[in-house]
Amino acid sequence: MLADEQEAETGPEENSLGKGIMSMQYRKSNIFGIRVVLALVIILAMASFALVGCGDDEVATDETEGTTVEDTSAGTESTDGASAEAPENVPDEPLKIGLLVARSGVTAPVGEAAHRAVEWWAERVNADGGILGRQVELLVEEESNPQDTVDRMRKLVLEDEVSAVLGLISTGVSLATAPIAEELETPLLMWDGTTQDGVEETMPDPAYTFRSTDNETEAIAAAVLTAKYFPDTKRIVGIANDYSYGHDTWNTYQAVLSKYMPDVEFVDALFPELGATEFASHITAIQQSGADLLFNSFWSGDAPVFMKQAAAVNLFDDMNAVFTTAGGVHTSLEQDFVPEGMLLGYNTFYFDMPEKSDLLEEFLADYQEAYGDYPMYEANNAYFTAVAYKAAVEAAYEEAGEWPSNEQVAEALVGIEVESLSGMMHYDDSKRMQGDFFQGITVHSEDYSFATIDPVEQLSTTDIMKPTADTDLLQWIDESFPKEGLVE
Amino acid sequence: MGDVVSILMSGLFSAAILFLVAAGLQLVFGVMKIFNLAVGSFYALGAFFGATLVNWAVGEGLPQPLFFFGLLIAGILLGVIGPVIERLLRPIYDRDEAFQLLLTFAIVLMLEDITMMIWGSQPRSTGSLYLVYGTVNLLGATVPVYNLFVIAAAGTIAVGIGLLLSRTAFGRVLRAAADKREMVQSLGVNTRRLYVIVFSLGVVLSTIGGALVIPVTATMSEMGVELIVEAFAVVVIGGLGSMRGALVGALVVGYVTTLSINYYPPIEMLVIYLVVIVVLVIKPRGLFGGETA
Repeated sequence: MLADEQEAETGPEENSLGKGIMSMQYRKSNIFGIRVVLALVIILAMASFALVGCGDDEVATDETEGTTVEDTSAGTESTDGASAEAPENVPDEPLKIGLLVARSGVTAPVGEAAHRAVEWWAERVNADGGILGRQVELLVEEESNPQDTVDRMRKLVLEDEVSAVLGLISTGVSLATAPIAEELETPLLMWDGTTQDGVEETMPDPAYTFRSTDNETEAIAAAVLTAKYFPDTKRIVGIANDYSYGHDTWNTYQAVLSKYMPDVEFVDALFPELGATEFASHITAIQQSGADLLFNSFWSGDAPVFMKQAAAVNLFDDMNAVFTTAGGVHTSLEQDFVPEGMLLGYNTFYFDMPEKSDLLEEFLADYQEAYGDYPMYEANNAYFTAVAYKAAVEAAYEEAGEWPSNEQVAEALVGIEVESLSGMMHYDDSKRMQGDFFQGITVHSEDYSFATIDPVEQLSTTDIMKPTADTDLLQWIDESFPKEGLVE
Repeated sequence: MGDVVSILMSGLFSAAILFLVAAGLQLVFGVMKIFNLAVGSFYALGAFFGATLVNWAVGEGLPQPLFFFGLLIAGILLGVIGPVIERLLRPIYDRDEAFQLLLTFAIVLMLEDITMMIWGSQPRSTGSLYLVYGTVNLLGATVPVYNLFVIAAAGTIAVGIGLLLSRTAFGRVLRAAADKREMVQSLGVNTRRLYVIVFSLGVVLSTIGGALVIPVTATMSEMGVELIVEAFAVVVIGGLGSMRGALVGALVVGYVTTLSINYYPPIEMLVIYLVVIVVLVIKPRGLFGGETA
């Protein structure tokens, strides 16, 4: 091509590097020498990479994220009155716990909150002497798509030899990893994920898989509270993300509310895809629906975006709203575009609950200092899985007299009750998380720039979650609701 | 009446943003014959950087109503990455389209991670600045004034590009280079510099699109990748390389989406691609395909 003016100016002769190369070509006797030198350099490079590679593995196990190995002989005294000596029949090596943490996509902020809570737990446990004297070591892998996450879980269990795996936010991924936990006989304690569908197929009778609360629970709570706070509603329109969670929450909400307010009319809902950020058309459609209440189960960054766009056209001037799960992104719900008087749900954890335990006060203070933020519900779910695991190990040890097997720990986990950040929580007989759900009416407090709730309603999963994993949800709703006395 | 106007305005807003990004695509394809998938990433970068710059400026005392200009400046400032990326793409100008798609897609993935490294995983937004200009009542519909600003800005840019291409010497060279590159080179035009300028212009169009959209929304992971899918539909419908095609394609996609959401939401995504298929069957080169402006 004629175009290249710049390259046409310098030819090989005028370039000093070129001169060197050209002259090298004429020294045939040295070519052999150069090849040997090159070969030696390459071999040395490969050898050093190999050595560094091996060394890195050893370094890696000592310096995994969060908690490093600490010297247990430093004389840390446990503060709970137990013996300061190491318990008998307990291995010396650190106790490795694997974490599957979502790092990218819409679940990343949720995964981050959960990860921070488990790190906080591990630091405190280790400062207190560890679990039965064994220091906790967290090995973190990323939760991404089902395929890769399954591979990483195998690596954690088979190569890294973790004793348990905590983590998982996404429904699809958790369904894929559950069979692996059963196959590898390693306790898997999920932070989130799992709606109704697919559970019976992938986890017919789990021994090692412990799930989070049923995802529809917040829709049930929202329906109960809708009957309390918006009893004059005539027509409801819904908007939810276009995947299992969105559809399940909308269907569940309708089923429960119909038991309390049989005359309410439900308009066909809108299902934008998860991650959509443009709702102008949806908002127009909602305005045209003639509804006087909006149901919304967004739980990620799309919630404040929707609210902002809705506020711009004064959608809520003529309409009440129920946001079942937007409390998950509560610090982005600015008062400028989130009106007072909406029902807002925070899943299993509301950061400003009226009576805070000492544990919660400490967590809030440390979280604020470290991250300048207020935690959301996944921090609570994750903390629960960690603290429940520790309690189960200790309980199983008491019974066995020695370090318990995974099977013994899994058995001890069933029915275990521990103090989490939000209060007491436990695992029921069907290995599901049980605790309280927090929802309330939005207010503009002077203490925060974002909306908060007052009053704070607290509903227990024993009332609003179906009693066993294999109960049919809609049938149970039909038979059990309306429930008297759930809320004043 | 209010409902019709509402639909009209929301479709127009979607079309405005789509046009900006598609225009960036068309400009680069028309002149350099590269289908630059990375416009999606530039759009995302514009959104992130726009939010950061505006939040910082307002924090430092910029009067809130001026934030709109802050966004435009953010988009223009990002043009500096244009020469950098163009240099990366230079080896593949004359290669097979497959290489171009691969390399530009690789850039998309890299920029995705770089963006996450710089800005983290939390969604970023400009908070409630969106509402600063208030709303206006247009024949019964409540329309945020900000949306009107964006539509006006996109329209101005569209007119500006049109004038640039048809009335300026530079535009003439651009159109000639799109038509016959070798001839332009043999006439002594420094096509290397031309490509850098065109590419950077394409980048700026996309970054401005991203910056302008951020007050309405928030940065979401993979927002760049999602936009590529829509932008692709726009340029296929409008015809590759045609600015007019970008405008018409954006309007078609914007309105088809808006209408389907209002009347039959389940087919929202499907309907865009139905239109793409129909256009490809009737006019394989797109509505204005084959033109260079």
